[in-house]
Amino acid sequence: MTDPETPPGPTVIVRVVARLLLAPSVVVAVALIVKGYTKVGDGFAAGMVVGLAVALNAVAVGAHRAEAALPVLRHAPHAAVGGAFVALASGFFPVALGEPVFSHRPGPDEEVVSVGTAELMTAVSFDVGIFLLVVGVVTVLVHQLAEPDQEPPT
Amino acid sequence: MTALSLSLLVPWAAGLLLVVLDGRRRTVGWLGAVTLAATIAVLGLLAADVLRDGAVEMVTGGWPAGVGIVLRADALGVTFALLSCIVLLAAACAETLLGVGQRTVPGLLVLLAAGLNGLFLTGDVFNFYVFFEMSMIAAYVLTGYGGGRAQLRAAVIFASVNLLGSFIFLLAVAGTYRVTGTLAMDDVAERIREVPPNAAIAVAVGFFVAFSVKLGLFPFHYWLPTVYADTRPSVAAVLSGAVANIGAYGLLRFGPGVFAEQIRLSATVLVVLGAASIVYGGVLAVARRRPAEMLAYSAIGQVGYVLVAVGVGGPVGFAAAVLYSVVNALNKALLFLTTAVRGPLVAGAFVVGALSVAGVPPAVGFVGKLAVFRSAVDAGSPTLVVLLVVGSALSLLYLFLVYQREFWAEEDRDAVTDAETRDTAPARGVSRRVPVVVLAVLLLAGGLWPEPLVAVSAAAADVLTASTNGAGP
Repeated sequence: MTDPETPPGPTVIVRVVARLLLAPSVVVAVALIVKGYTKVGDGFAAGMVVGLAVALNAVAVGAHRAEAALPVLRHAPHAAVGGAFVALASGFFPVALGEPVFSHRPGPDEEVVSVGTAELMTAVSFDVGIFLLVVGVVTVLVHQLAEPDQEPPT
Repeated sequence: MTALSLSLLVPWAAGLLLVVLDGRRRTVGWLGAVTLAATIAVLGLLAADVLRDGAVEMVTGGWPAGVGIVLRADALGVTFALLSCIVLLAAACAETLLGVGQRTVPGLLVLLAAGLNGLFLTGDVFNFYVFFEMSMIAAYVLTGYGGGRAQLRAAVIFASVNLLGSFIFLLAVAGTYRVTGTLAMDDVAERIREVPPNAAIAVAVGFFVAFSVKLGLFPFHYWLPTVYADTRPSVAAVLSGAVANIGAYGLLRFGPGVFAEQIRLSATVLVVLGAASIVYGGVLAVARRRPAEMLAYSAIGQVGYVLVAVGVGGPVGFAAAVLYSVVNALNKALLFLTTAVRGPLVAGAFVVGALSVAGVPPAVGFVGKLAVFRSAVDAGSPTLVVLLVVGSALSLLYLFLVYQREFWAEEDRDAVTDAETRDTAPARGVSRRVPVVVLAVLLLAGGLWPEPLVAVSAAAADVLTASTNGAGP
């Protein structure tokens, strides 16, 4: 039934679907972050959606080719650390104001500036940080599982 | 309140930054040490606040209690946080002086401090679990530091056994939520009284097993000798002096602090397990030749004293448990660090550590042993006192066997510590011995002037006895 000439690995359908899913996954992730404050969703779930799309892409075409097609994936470590800093800053900035950690600005009952449905507040920036952290870590994990760095033993 | 937030923020932010930088550069190593020193300073301020005015509490986001997550610094938590950071600082200094061989090590040590501070300073069971995992993940990576076969094997064993322990802990957390409907420690302690005894004891046993695995108590110790003996000396110091504190703290916090009734019921079991640990660890340590392996078995024996003290209970027992945990962590950190360096000063430091483990004055171990003996006498059990004496005698025996082999019979050493030549070879500079000597001086100072330590551990025990009696009818 199967053609003996077919290269081993996922079929063309998987490869095409994996590629096509990347853009929608980012859209879904943005929606999860933006809507997360009135409906289901948060930065972690959004990060997992994009992370899974990246992982599926790596499974379908191989981590090496996936990274060649999407050079932005190489910045995953920076995204992870940057995201962690954004999240920490959003969580701990009230220390400087003498308030408990994870107090958010604008505070309760204050006017929130919104862009469309996106509300600009520190709780959202915390979730953006978590999103970057999760995507970065998943991408680094996929990269390391596919081709581990050979750090020379010292 | 600011000090409480800063004690988390400083190591967390700095640790993330250091993980990115190349830790093999000496400056980065020292930055890690400076961060840990800054964390200790912040914790010192926090401790001063706590000991003067009682527990410092903060609910995240300023939410009402029950909605927000509670961060709480009391005497018990602050003591353990300070202790762990001091051990981490000593290990970081020692590693930097010897030359860091892996780029993430300084950052991981600092992140480990962040995780430990978080779990010692939280008032919420699930938050405890989160910080617990954070520090364990840093510890897993550190165990593999060195990258040799032995280290990788140690890391695999350590990670798999402790993941199992963490899983049991998570089950116990889920069970707690199921039976009490809350995860704030204060509420759990209160509501657990109305829970059917079977369910309560099942959850309590889950916590006990999880912490015993972490601590390496007798029936759960099987992973410990390989891991402690095969990792780098500074990592072994961190594991036994800082990470093992999770187990001791957890036993105290969740035992008398939350499951007070259950721990009273199982007092005999705890004492028996503790005594078994003491004898087992002592006997096997005598039979070992490699110093690191011997110290690993010694660690199993030493935590037995903590468990005995917890089992005896009461203000005297809990104070003894806190005091002995502090003393034991410092002893173990010192002794493991001495396995990496050589010289007359180090030999002197080793003697101080050995005396401290055996409980001979003037080292601080004497104070710890005295407290445990007092609690055993309080328990009114001659058998227990005899066992404690046997344990102490055994520890004096095995430590001086090592002393003789390592520091007197220099020429035999090549045969014995072949595996460690890489660590011992470059370790003959005066500056490299500084952390070891400073720890030894600390142990001596604690022995000569024990009042602050005794007062702090009494205050820590007060936290536990107050929570068991205060909330009662």
